[in-house]
Amino acid sequence: MRPQPPFIQAAKLGFTYGRGSLRPVLSDIDLQAGDDRYLLIGGASGSGKSTLCRTFNSLIPHFYNGRLTGRVLVGGMDTRTLSVGDLFDRVGMVFQNPEAQLFNSTVAREIAFGLESLGLARSEIRRRIGEAAAAVGIEDLLERFPHDLSGGEQHLTAVAAILALRPRVMILDEPFASLDPLATARLRRVLAEIGARGPTRLIVCEHRLALTAPDADRMIVLHGGRIVADGAPVAVLAGDVRPWALEQPLAAAASLRLGLRPVVLDVGDLPVGGDSRERLADLLPSPPLAGNGDVLLSVENLCAHYRQRPVLRDVSFALRRGEIAALVGANGSGKTTLARHINGLARPVAGRVLVCGRDTRRVSTSALAANVGLVFQNPDSQFFKLTVAEEIRVGPRALGIEAEDWIALLARKLGLTALMQRAPFRLSGGEKKRVAVAAALAVRPELLVFDEPTAGQDLFFRQALGDLLLGLAEEGRAVLMVTHDLGFAERCASRWLVLGNGTIAADGAPARIMADAGLLRRCGLMPTDAFRLRTRLEAASHA
Amino acid sequence: MLDPRSRFCLACGYAGAVILSTVPWALMAQYLLLLVLVWVWHRGGTYLRWLHLVTPMALFFGALTWWASCSLAGGGAAALKLLSLTTTFFLFFETTAPEDLGNSLVAAGLPFAAAFVFSAALQFVPLIGRKAHRVIEAQRSRGIPMEPGGAALRHWPALLAPLLIQAFTLADELAEAMEARGFSRPSRTFYRDYRMRPADWLAVAAAAGLLPTAIWWL
Repeated sequence: MRPQPPFIQAAKLGFTYGRGSLRPVLSDIDLQAGDDRYLLIGGASGSGKSTLCRTFNSLIPHFYNGRLTGRVLVGGMDTRTLSVGDLFDRVGMVFQNPEAQLFNSTVAREIAFGLESLGLARSEIRRRIGEAAAAVGIEDLLERFPHDLSGGEQHLTAVAAILALRPRVMILDEPFASLDPLATARLRRVLAEIGARGPTRLIVCEHRLALTAPDADRMIVLHGGRIVADGAPVAVLAGDVRPWALEQPLAAAASLRLGLRPVVLDVGDLPVGGDSRERLADLLPSPPLAGNGDVLLSVENLCAHYRQRPVLRDVSFALRRGEIAALVGANGSGKTTLARHINGLARPVAGRVLVCGRDTRRVSTSALAANVGLVFQNPDSQFFKLTVAEEIRVGPRALGIEAEDWIALLARKLGLTALMQRAPFRLSGGEKKRVAVAAALAVRPELLVFDEPTAGQDLFFRQALGDLLLGLAEEGRAVLMVTHDLGFAERCASRWLVLGNGTIAADGAPARIMADAGLLRRCGLMPTDAFRLRTRLEAASHA
Repeated sequence: MLDPRSRFCLACGYAGAVILSTVPWALMAQYLLLLVLVWVWHRGGTYLRWLHLVTPMALFFGALTWWASCSLAGGGAAALKLLSLTTTFFLFFETTAPEDLGNSLVAAGLPFAAAFVFSAALQFVPLIGRKAHRVIEAQRSRGIPMEPGGAALRHWPALLAPLLIQAFTLADELAEAMEARGFSRPSRTFYRDYRMRPADWLAVAAAAGLLPTAIWWL
C-alpha cells in the first residue's frame, strides 16, 4: 500500500508582505504538517508563526498582498489554486483576538455561521451546534451575546465555531494570550480532548511553551522566518531555546540542570532528591524586597458597582513607595474596576481612594495623571500622533510639565531611541507597549498601574519589563500590576492582592498565598511551576 | 412568532402613523401602547437606560419646535412623536436580531453580502461605542482633559485618530475571520426558517392599513 502524502506540505516557502523589497517574513520553509495529533509552532513575536499558519488555509496569498515564493499543498492541491472558501472546512483557524472574530448576535449563530456557509440542512446545523457546544462545554452560553462573554468564553466560542465544521486541521493562534489561569486550564483540557478524540488535528502557535509543550507531540520553532528546530518537544527542549527569545519551561530547564534525558515537561514529573535544592536554586525566582516608604495609595472601604451589580465590596489596602504589588484573580473578579478607581476613571459608590493624599472623588482623572500613570492593555487606544516622540510628549504638554531630558532618558531605558521618529501605529506589539509605558512615565508619576502588561508578549519584552519595574521601585515609585501571568507576578512582585467575589481575599507574599490551596481554588488561581518545584524541593530536603 | 420582514413592516407602519398623527390624545395613546409592549416583553430595564439617552434629545427637539412655532402644544407633540418613533424601533431591534432581518431579506432575494453589511453595521455600533469609551479613558489617564464639556472638543484628534485606526483594523480582522468561515461561499443555507405565513401577510396588511387610518382619523 502506498503511504498517504502529508496533508499540508510546504516547499521552499517564502513570503514578504506588501509590494516593495521589504524583509521577508518567511524564508525557505520546508514543512510537512497536519498529520500530527498536536503540532506546536513556537517562536517569539514577529518570528512568522501567524504568517505561516495563514499560508495553510489560503488566506495567504488570497487575502493578503505580498510576494509568495515556493508553494504550499493542502490535500495535494496548490493553495494558489484554492480560495479560502474552498479550504475553510478542512483547515479551520481560530484567531488571536476573540473580539475581532465573533460577528453574530448569539453564540449559537456564531457556531452556525460556518455551517450555513457549507449549505447544510437546518437539522444538521442544529445537531452540530449542540455537538460542538457540548465538546467545549458552552451549552449554557448558546443564547448569549458573544461580546458580553469573558475572554475565555469567547475563545471557547471561537473554537466551537471551527470545531463544528469538523475540519481536518484546526489552527489556533496564541489561544492563551489573554486567559486567566482557570480559563487556560479549561482550554488546555478541551484541546487535549479534541486531539485525543480525532479526527481533527491541532496546530497551535504559542510562545509560552510551558503551557503547550506538555500537550504537543511535535513542535517546530520559527526564528526570523525560518524553521530552526523540529522534533518531539522533549527533544527540542533538551536544547537551549533562549537564543530564539523563548522561555525554557522550568521543568525542562531543571531536567537539563539535573542531567536528565529525556527532559521532563511537567515539574510534577521531576525526580528530585536531597541535593537537588542546591543545584536548582538559581532557576527559582527570588521575590523583590518589599517597599517600606511612605504610603502613596490608600484604598479605604471601597465599594463599586458595574451595571447596578456590586463588583467591589469593602476593599481596603495601601501601597507604599518602592513597592511592587500584583492584583490577581479570575476574570470578572473586579480587578480592572479596581484599577479604574485608582486614577479616578470610576468613582466609588462608598469608601474612598487617596493617591498621594488626593481624594480621587475631588480631582479629575486628567489632573490625577500627574500622580498616577495607568498603562492600558491595548496601546492602540491612545496613539494619535504621527511619531513616537510626539506621542510620549502628549502627557507632559497636557499637564504643562517640562520633560525633554527625562523623555530622552526614558527612551534610552526602554530601547526607544531608534524608534522616536517612527509612526506609533506601525510598531510591533512589544514596541507599542514600550511606547505606552514611556508615555505614562513621561509625566513622572509616583504611582504606576499596569493592566495585563505581559499579555501576548515574548521573553525579551517580559525580561525588559521586569527590569523596568524593579528600576521604578528602586527610584521610590510604587507599582501595581493587574495580571493573569502569575509566573511574571511571582518574579516581580513582593506582594499579591488576591481579589475574589469583589473583596480582597488575601494580601501577602506570593509564596504564602500559593501555599493555600483552598484560597487558590476559590479565587480561580493555580500555583506557578516555580512554586510547585520549590515545594517539592523543600519536601525532598526534609525527607 | 412573526417573520422579521412582517415585523419590520409593522414597525414602519406604526412609525408612519406616529408621524402622520396630529391629535394630542392619539399621540399619547400611541406612546402608551408602546409602553405597554415594553412592559409585556419585559424590556423595562433596558428601556430606562435607552430613555436616559433619548429623553434629552426629545426635549431639545420639542423646545426647538416650540421656539420655531410659538406653540407649546406643538413642541410637546414634536417631543412625544420623537419619543414614540425611537421607542418603536427600540422595540423592533430588541425583539429582532439584526441577522434575522438581514437573512430574511436574503430569503426574499437580497444579495447576502448587502444584507450582511446592513446587519453587521447594526451590531458593531455598540462595539465601536465601547472602543470610543476606552479611547477617552486612555487619553484622560495621561492628562488630556476629555471629561464631558467644551474643553474636550479641543482634543477631538485624540479621540478620532485612535478610534478610526481601531475601526479600520477591526474591519480588516473581521473580514479575515468571516472569510475563514466561508463568507463568500455560494449556496448558503440558514439556521432559522424564514417564511411568510398567513399571519405575516395579515401583519403586512395591518401595517399598510395604519397609514390611511392615521391620515383620516388621527
